[in-house]
Amino acid sequence: MARSIWNGTITFGLIAVPIKVHSATEDQSVHFHQVHAVDGARIKQKRICSKEGKEVPYKEVAKGYEVRSGRFVVLSQEEIDAAAGERAHLIELEEFVRHEQIDPVFYDRTYYLGAGDDGADAYRLLHEALERSERVGIGRWVFHNREYLAAIRPLENVLVLHTMRFAEELVPAKSLKLQGPSRRPGKRELDMAASLVDALYSPFDPHAFEDSYRERVLALIEAKAEGQEPELPEREAEQEPGDLMAALQASLDASRRPKTTARRG
Amino acid sequence: MARSLWTGSLSFGLVNVPVSVLPAVRDLDLHFRQLHEKDAAPIEVQRWCSKEDVEVPYEEITHGYELEDGGQVIVSDLELEAIEPRRTRTIEIEQFIELQEADPIYFDHPYFLVPASEDDGARRAYRLLTDVMGRTDRAALGRFVMRAKEYLAIVRERDGALTLTTMMFADEVRTAKDVDAATQKSHKPTRRQLDAAVAVIEELTCDWDPAKHKDRYQERLRRVVAHKRKGGTVQAPEAQEQPAPAPDLMDALERTLEELGRGGSGRSTNGKR
Repeated sequence: MARSIWNGTITFGLIAVPIKVHSATEDQSVHFHQVHAVDGARIKQKRICSKEGKEVPYKEVAKGYEVRSGRFVVLSQEEIDAAAGERAHLIELEEFVRHEQIDPVFYDRTYYLGAGDDGADAYRLLHEALERSERVGIGRWVFHNREYLAAIRPLENVLVLHTMRFAEELVPAKSLKLQGPSRRPGKRELDMAASLVDALYSPFDPHAFEDSYRERVLALIEAKAEGQEPELPEREAEQEPGDLMAALQASLDASRRPKTTARRG
Repeated sequence: MARSLWTGSLSFGLVNVPVSVLPAVRDLDLHFRQLHEKDAAPIEVQRWCSKEDVEVPYEEITHGYELEDGGQVIVSDLELEAIEPRRTRTIEIEQFIELQEADPIYFDHPYFLVPASEDDGARRAYRLLTDVMGRTDRAALGRFVMRAKEYLAIVRERDGALTLTTMMFADEVRTAKDVDAATQKSHKPTRRQLDAAVAVIEELTCDWDPAKHKDRYQERLRRVVAHKRKGGTVQAPEAQEQPAPAPDLMDALERTLEELGRGGSGRSTNGKR
C-alpha cells in the first residue's frame, strides 16, 4: 500500500481511534503533456504580471478575491489556510445515521482508513460496532487546509472515509421544472417496462467494464510510436423515439431470445 | 436552468429517450485569482516553448505522450477525436442492477438527465423509465462519451428525476488488502466492548439531515475575506493536541455511556467545545 496521506485520530464519545488515511481511488486516464506542435518541445507556463509584463516568481504570488471588477482583496496563503479550522488532526464523530438514509449522491471521494499506532483494538471495535449497527459515523475532516464533511463506514474488512457533498451544493430536482407527459404511462406500459428491467437484470460486476476509450488511446499511441497512421472510423446515425408500446414489446421479445438472456447472472 | 453539458439519447432496449445531461452539483466555492503580491495586479499565465523560449499561440499546442524509454509520441486533437467511441450520442443501458450492489466507492460525479425534446412521446418514455426505477431499487448501467472521454454511468431515479452518475472503472479503485485493518484475532473486541460501543453509537444516532451540515470552511473563508477587506489581519488558530488512545477501551466506553446517560453529549469531558 502506498504511504498514508494523513494521520490522525477519530473520536466517538471518549474513545479515540488512531488512523492512517490512504487514497482508495486513482485516475487511470491517459495523460498528455502540452507540447509545441512545431518542435515537440514541452510547453511551460509562465506567470506574468499584467501590470509590469514581467515573469513573477512563485513566492511573490498572492491570492485575490475580486470584490468588484478589477478590485481585489489580497490574501496570503497563510490567511486562506486560517479558514481551515483548528482541529487539524482530529475527526470527531458527532453523530451516527442509518446507512440506508444517505443517498449515494452525497458521497464524493473515498479513502481507506488503516489502524494507526497503538490503535488496532479501537479500530476493530469501531469497525465491528458500525457493521453491527449498520450505522455511518459523521464528522469533520481537515485535509490539505480545507474542512470536509466526512462519513465513516465499514466496507468489508476496512473502514472507509467518504468526503461528503453539502446539501446546498446539490441542485434540487425541483429546479429542473420537469414537464410531465400529457398522459402518465399506463399500467400495461409500466408492467412491460418492469419486465424488461427484470429481463436485463444481472448483478453488478465492476470488472465487467473496461475503459475502452483509454484502451483505444493507448493503441493509438502505440501505433504512432511505430510510425503507423490511424484510420478514421465512421459515426452512427441517431435513432428517433417511436411508438413506446411497440418498442417495449420488441425489446421484451429480443430480451427473451436465448442470446440475450444468457447475460443474466 | 443550467446549460446542458451533453445531448443525445438514452436507449433502453429499443426505446429511445432524447435526453440532456445537466449538472447536479453547483460550485459554491469562493474563487481566487492569482495576483502579484507587490502591486496586486492579476497574473496572466502564458504558454512558452521550452526549446525556443517564445510564447506559443494556442493553435500550435498539441498533446505529447511520454514513453517509458524517454521518447515521446505526438497526438493531435484530430486523432483523438477519430478514436472517440462510435456511439457518441447514445447512453446505452446495458443492464439493470440493484442499487445497493454498487458500492458508493464506485460513484464519481452526479448529473441529472432531463427530456431533451418537447415531444410528448419522449416525455412519456422518460416518465416511464423514472417511474419503473422509482418503484424498485433498480438502477441502470450504461456507457456514454462526454468531452472525449468514455464513462461508465449509473442511471437511477432520485426525487422524481433521472440521475446519472459517472462511475469509476474497477482498476481505478485500489485494493484494500494492504491497508492495516487490524484483522488479527488478538484485536477482536470482546462481546462487552462491542455491546457498549453499539450502545454509544445508538445514543448518538439521529436521522440523516444533510441540510444541517454547512460548509463551514467556505463560511470562514468568507469571513476572512470580509475581515481583510476592512483592513484587519488574520491569524491561523493554533493546532489542538490529539487525544491519546485510551489505555482501557472498556473504561472509556463506560465513561462515555455514563456521560450520555446523564444527558451530556459524551464529548463535553473531552476538552472540546
